This record gives sequence, structure tokens and C-alpha cells, in this order.
Amino acid sequence: MPADTSVTAPASIAVPPAQSALTEPAWVRILLIGGALLFLALFLLLPLVAVFAEALRRGLGAYWAALTEPDAVAAIELTLIVAAISVPANLLFGVAASWCVAKFDFRGKNLLITLIDLPFSVSPVISGLIYVLLFGMNGLFGTYLRDMGVQIIFAVPGLVLATIFVTFPFVARELIPLMQEQGSDEEEAALVLGASGWQTFWRVTIPNIKWGLLYGVLLCNARAMGEFGAVSVVSGHIRGETNTMPLHVEILYNEYNFVAAFAVASLLAMLALVTLVVKTALEWRFGDELAASRH
Amino acid sequence: MAIQVSGITKRFNDFTALDSVELEVKSGELLALLGPSGSGKTTLLRIMAGLESPDGGGLLLNGEEALGLKPRDRQVGFVFQHYALFRHMTVFENVAFGLKVRPRGQRPGASEIKRRVTELLELVQLSPFAGRYPVQLSGGQRQRVALARALAIEPKVLLLDEPFGALDAKVRKELRRWLRKLHDDIHITSVFVTHDQEEALELADRVVVMNQGRIEQIGTPAEVYDHPASAFVYEFLGQVNRFDCTVEGGIARVGDGALAIPTQGGVQGPAVAYVRPHDLGVTPASAGPARISGIHVVGPDARIDIDLAGLTLEAEMDRERLATLGIAAGDRCAIHIDRARVFAR
Repeated sequence: MPADTSVTAPASIAVPPAQSALTEPAWVRILLIGGALLFLALFLLLPLVAVFAEALRRGLGAYWAALTEPDAVAAIELTLIVAAISVPANLLFGVAASWCVAKFDFRGKNLLITLIDLPFSVSPVISGLIYVLLFGMNGLFGTYLRDMGVQIIFAVPGLVLATIFVTFPFVARELIPLMQEQGSDEEEAALVLGASGWQTFWRVTIPNIKWGLLYGVLLCNARAMGEFGAVSVVSGHIRGETNTMPLHVEILYNEYNFVAAFAVASLLAMLALVTLVVKTALEWRFGDELAASRH
Repeated sequence: MAIQVSGITKRFNDFTALDSVELEVKSGELLALLGPSGSGKTTLLRIMAGLESPDGGGLLLNGEEALGLKPRDRQVGFVFQHYALFRHMTVFENVAFGLKVRPRGQRPGASEIKRRVTELLELVQLSPFAGRYPVQLSGGQRQRVALARALAIEPKVLLLDEPFGALDAKVRKELRRWLRKLHDDIHITSVFVTHDQEEALELADRVVVMNQGRIEQIGTPAEVYDHPASAFVYEFLGQVNRFDCTVEGGIARVGDGALAIPTQGGVQGPAVAYVRPHDLGVTPASAGPARISGIHVVGPDARIDIDLAGLTLEAEMDRERLATLGIAAGDRCAIHIDRARVFAR
């Protein structure tokens, strides 16, 4: 019956599957999502699990012993000290730098922005070497510093300097775009309403950037505690004295003390996890305010 | 409080934003600074507020030299074009800000602040929104919060930068009426910047027309509209037909004698004549010199495009008049001009 087919054929075309212009067929979606998840599992999740698995291979007792051994404790303390100095320092520098980049026009502004990025583009080993060249025994200020009785390289000040250098961009990079986007209208409004410069800074500028600032500080802290390259050059690897956690991990690993190495590494991994959780929690808890500050 | 601007000059690199501007704002008046973008109107407003400092000239606020004063000491209220509300504060906190940052001795108590803010929020009809954040408000509401915040410090002068610029047409009209009424109630000396001539003419007591860093004319809305002091003012205030012409013996001749317009004043030789569309009369005439090239009806009015020997003219009339004339696109017609202003070229 040719007449029938000519009627039914268009009818079956007239009912396409409910699909919007931007929706892909199911197999494409499954392939894309599955691929992304597989990649994440392979390259991010699996190594993380491996760290903890290796650390706990000989049980909790060995894990605990590796963390409480004097050299490990010294490394943890040193890492905390270095972070406790370099993160606040970069907080101040970062806020000051982004403040002047975002709110003022001056010659050499682009140069300043490029300089802020320098630590990201330079290999951390070079960053460490710079300080050795400047403050080392044979360095530019070496003789002077020795005469003054100040030791920077192979000591805590060197570690702090190298860490500050490497982590400098985190806060500034986070704040500059945010502050540029916000402009200075609100600061001007505050000034006209009678606020002093100080009041304007604390009541208007800081609240507007607090989330970006917090995020920058979190990242800065994670990197300050985890930095290896630059710190390795200036440290001198003196056990119990100038070894930070990442350096301690390397030494243990080179001594085939895998359980201890991974135990300390697991602390660093946990730091990363805590950073992520705190960031996510903040975004979840203060999502509205966060959106408001970027409106 | 009166404002006296004398010889204010401001340059940004090579660009002269203000060129020896002289202006007196009378106490209690609502003054409009009207001009195209780049005319220097916003710069002048910001100099009055102390947000910008001039390269030369003087500024008196209520007879006192003000250029040396910081913005916070000038007692001005400033409403920003994009409101500049504190995004992390509620409406209440925004309005209270100016009171809370006062030095300890002059700061009102918490209950007094609450009373004042509540009063202001009532004034701007936003009492139910005290607890909202700026992002949760519409444009018109934000603008009123900005106004309440500026008024909270009891300023002697209110300065508004393009106060209705970012609002849609209907809200803009409502808010304009509301602001006029508010000004009539509280009589605060106010200066607002706008590039919208309709807004300036409707709202202001006096209008200052600015162009390229200079003041072209100061006058009441009727004065500047009916007696523009310069070709620029004529062109800027509303729609206008512009003819290049030659004036000889009081008659302006356009093109090859296609149109002759009687003029007053002593202009001779090459000149520019301006005619408002509603001053351009059209009569149907089968052998007339002009041709109607199009008719556009906009609400109650009709705009008629006319082709006169290669010149495109625009006439305006209400729809009833259009109907009585019975003209249509393509018809030939005669035109006559009731009123024209001629400026020497």
C-alpha cells in the first residue's frame, strides 16, 4: 500500500527525541564524562591513594613512629616556621602590590605586573641559586655577612627568603584581577562619606577582597609548605636543622626508608586535601557573598 | 549652600577636560550639567566633590575656599553613576556608613543612627529592603539607596553623576519625577550631570550646556531651548535640521535657491541655519519643490522625511494634523519655515 507508507513515514520523523541544541547524544556524554573521570582517577586519585597505602603498609605504629622521630619533628617544625613567616609576608606584599596596580596609574605598571609573575616563570632551582649567589660564602654579600656573623644560606633565613620568592605571586595574582574589576568607586564613595583612608581600607577594600585574599593565602600556604626546588638549593640538607618536610621526604626516600618517606609525604598530601576542603567549604558556605563580591 | 567655580582648568595628559570654567550654583537650586561625553561635565562634578584636583582655578563652597579640603571635609553628598554601593553591606549598613565612620566625638549613638537610617529609608521608600544586599535590588532601588546614603551625612550639596544613566526608560522617568519632588521638599543645593537633554530640561532649574571643556550656555530650560547661544547648543538640544546657507540682505538662501528663509540678526555671508522639526511646515502641493520620502509614526507623533533638491529634512507634527493634510510617502509638497536660527560659519 504505497499511499499508507507516504503518510506514516513523515509522522515518524515529526517526533524527534526530546533534545536541545546543546545536548549531545548519550554515548558522547558517557564517553566524555567517563574519559575525564578515568583520567582524574589515574593521574590524581591513584597517586594519592598510593601515598597513604605505602605510608600505612607496616601499620599505624610504624607510621606514627616515622612521624614522631626527632628529625621528622624538626622538619615539620621548620616547615611550619617557614610558612608562618613567608605567608604573612606575602599576604602584606600581595595586598600592597595589587592595591597599587589596581587603584593607581603609574609608569612601569606593566613592568611591575611582569615582575610579580617572575617566580612562576623561573625554575625554582634558579630561584634558590639566586640567593646562594647573593648571600652565599662566595656571593655578593657573602664576606660582609660573614663578618657580621649572619648566616643566611644553609640556615632558616635562606629557606624563608627562597620560599617568599617562590610563593610571591599567589596572593597578588589572585587579587589583581579582582581589584581591577571592582575599580575604586566604592573607595571614592567611602571617602566622600567621610571615612579616613584607614577606615576605607578596613571597611571597604578588605571586605571586598577577603575571599580572593583567603584563597590566595591558602594556595600560598600550600606551596610554601610543599616547595622543594628553591628550598633544596639553599638548605644544605642538614638533618634536624635545615630540612623541611619535602626535603626530609627525599632523604628518607633515597635511604630506601619508604614507609617513613611516605608517612611524611602523607602529611603534605593531607595539607593539600585540607586546603581543598576548606576552600570548597568556604565557597559552599559563603557562595552568595562570594558571588556578590564579584557581581 | 552656594558653589562658586572660578577659572577651573583640568588637563589629563594632552587632553584638556576643563578650560577655565566659570560657574555659580545658587543656594537651593537644582542645576544640570549637560553635554556630550568628553565635555568635561563629570570632571567638573568630581572636582567639586574633591575626587579630582584641578590644575588651576578656585572653588568656593558657601564662600569658603574648598580646593584645599579633602572630600570628607567638604560635606558633599555624591551619587555615583553606577551607584558604588558597598556590595558586602546590607542596605541599612550602606546608609549608616557615613554616620558610623565619624570621629568618636561626632558619632551619633547606635539608636540615633538606627532612627536616622530608618527615616531615610522611608524617605526613599525602601524600608522593607533594609536587610537586603545591593545585588538583590533592581537598578532603581540601588539608585535610591545611593541617594539615601549620600543624604545620611546631611550634606550641604548633593552631586549626582549621571544619576539615571543606567536605568531603563520607564524607571528613569519615574525616578526623575521623584527626585524633582524630593528636591522641592528638602531644597538641597544639587548639581547633576547628564548627557540626556530631555532629562536636563525637565528636571533642572537651570541648565549648563558644556562642550569640549567649556561652558556654551547657562540658563533656564526654556532659555537654552528657545534661545540657544551657539550652534552647538542648538544642535545638542533636540532634533534639528541643519542647512548650509548664504545670507544676503536678511534672506538665507539654501542650495541653488531651493529655499529662502527670512532671518533676523546681523549675520551676513556664509552661515548655518537651524530649524527644529516642529517648526518646519509641510503643505501638499502637486508642483511643490520637495518630495515626501517617508512617514514614521511614533506614538502620538509623526516624523516626516522630506527630500528637497538632495537635502534630507525632517518635519514633526501630531497624527491628527497628518491626517488633515492627507499626505503620503511619495507625494510632492511645499515647505515653509516659521522659525530659524542662523549662525555665521
